[in-house]
Amino acid sequence: MLEPVSVGLKFGFLAVLYLFLLWVVRSALKDLRRGRGGVVVSDEAPAADATGMYSAASGLGELDDAFEPRLMVDRALGHEPGVAYDLSDGATLGRGDVEIQLEDPFASSRHARISRQGHVIVIEDLGSTNGTYLNEQPLTGPQPLHSGDRIRIGDSEFSYLQ
Amino acid sequence: MSARNRELLGLIPASLLVTAGFAGVFIQRSNVLSNVSLTYGAIFLGLCVAGHVFIRITLPHADPYMFPLVALLASFGIVMVYRISATDARQQAQWFVLGLVLFAVTVIVFRDYRKLEQYRYIIAFVSLGLLLLPRLPGIGYQANGAYLGVRIPGVFVFQPTEFAKIGFVVFLASYLRDTRQVMVMGARRILGVTIPPLKHFGPVVVIWGIGMLILITLHDIGSSLMFYGGLLAVLYVATDRLSFVVVGLLAFGLGAWYLGTHIPHVHDRVEAWLHPLDPTLYARPGGSFQVANSMFAQAAGGMFGQGFGQATLTVPGSHPVAYLLPAPQTDMIYAVITDELGLFGGVAVILTYLLFVARGFKTALLARDSFSTLLAAGLSAVFALQVFVIVGGVTRVIPLTGVTLPFISYGGSSIVANFVLLALLLLISDRARQAT
Repeated sequence: MLEPVSVGLKFGFLAVLYLFLLWVVRSALKDLRRGRGGVVVSDEAPAADATGMYSAASGLGELDDAFEPRLMVDRALGHEPGVAYDLSDGATLGRGDVEIQLEDPFASSRHARISRQGHVIVIEDLGSTNGTYLNEQPLTGPQPLHSGDRIRIGDSEFSYLQ
Repeated sequence: MSARNRELLGLIPASLLVTAGFAGVFIQRSNVLSNVSLTYGAIFLGLCVAGHVFIRITLPHADPYMFPLVALLASFGIVMVYRISATDARQQAQWFVLGLVLFAVTVIVFRDYRKLEQYRYIIAFVSLGLLLLPRLPGIGYQANGAYLGVRIPGVFVFQPTEFAKIGFVVFLASYLRDTRQVMVMGARRILGVTIPPLKHFGPVVVIWGIGMLILITLHDIGSSLMFYGGLLAVLYVATDRLSFVVVGLLAFGLGAWYLGTHIPHVHDRVEAWLHPLDPTLYARPGGSFQVANSMFAQAAGGMFGQGFGQATLTVPGSHPVAYLLPAPQTDMIYAVITDELGLFGGVAVILTYLLFVARGFKTALLARDSFSTLLAAGLSAVFALQVFVIVGGVTRVIPLTGVTLPFISYGGSSIVANFVLLALLLLISDRARQAT
């Protein structure tokens, strides 16, 4: 008696089901496209922008006024990304009681030192257990820093800017 | 349209499905078009909207599709379980509510889920304990030869493996966050394959040990494959070394082969999988009866299925009721869905899971810190493997084992545990999408 209704319900069920799945796929695709654009902008642009700007500035001002060595947080537990620390007087990085404290489990208590020698900023590993990486190369001795250099300790990443 | 409004919109089809499904079952059962189905649909919508409002307040940036996809799966579950047994469906509905409550509790308690890292060893040991619980005399019990459940008579029955899977992923994600770089360093390349130093295979060996332990204690290939695969996935995401996966799978295959030929119950399952239509195997208790009948049921569904309530699940006229398809509301629910909604219905279920897992992996990609990435990837992988293990078992791709189909199968532990998993994924997603 209700056979047609029953069949109708079955096909209705399947139709709603597939329309819903189609909707999810469609909006997920849109999301994906926008997401890719978003990631590119947030990942690359600020870094390129900042380094571009400051390398231009240091070229023009010839050090004295425009020389503002800073260490910008890219990604570090317990630090806001984008925050920059002043390096004019140097700083020590590590897990212990130092200027820039890392919550990284890979960091030693006194991990690396960044010091100023005139107009050159030098980074040096303090015999840490897991090493300090400058542009993904392990540090062996003291190394001068250039604007845009990336410093990594464990999972924490920083950019050097001047 | 904002993410949260999209989520709200996505809940409407799920409740429509509940309404249509119940209406179909009612017509078949008593030949009336009852408006009770509308009530059920409305109650379901109400519960989902309550969940949605909670997410809107606490996780405003979370992925908008995960919750509607889960609601869709739950709607499937409630309709199919009702169709199989009305009393089970009432309990299933209660568990759905309990799941939503636990979802809310998880979100509130683990608002900063990264503090889970501090308890990783406790979590690991509790998970290990949960796995061994079914073997304890008095409370553990054996179902069809596998030790999967814990029963305290008169109080409750639950499946500890459902919770252990989340615990292990949390542990491994936090452990590998610390050690992944150490594992990759000092690797040599031989013939284009990266071979890490032997000592760094330690964690792989431990994971392998866990997988084998599960196989030995639970007598269940499916569960151990689910755990092992999930943990291997976390390891791969953490280290980006295919060699771990290859070596890991080979080792697992070897162990599974050895144990498969030496544990009688596991051996029976493999035999039933290889020769389901063998008459002697079919007739033997614990033989291939279930697998073979599941294939018959799916074949009967055809392209569009027989319609709600039309599948033959019991032997007609038998007293007491003899099931043609043993455990239709738990292990075999996928076969029942395929029987009543056909290939299209079955594929839709798998598609729903695929989309959910895809959202999970997307969350892992968006996450900023490695713990979140590993956790999201691990939870998604374990979820996906659980679906693979049970759907694969029912469709005879792999030997059948008693794992639940997440959010659809009848079973409190499964629903509640998977709601906790959903809560963790949404927490990670909320944090990740907030930042961008």
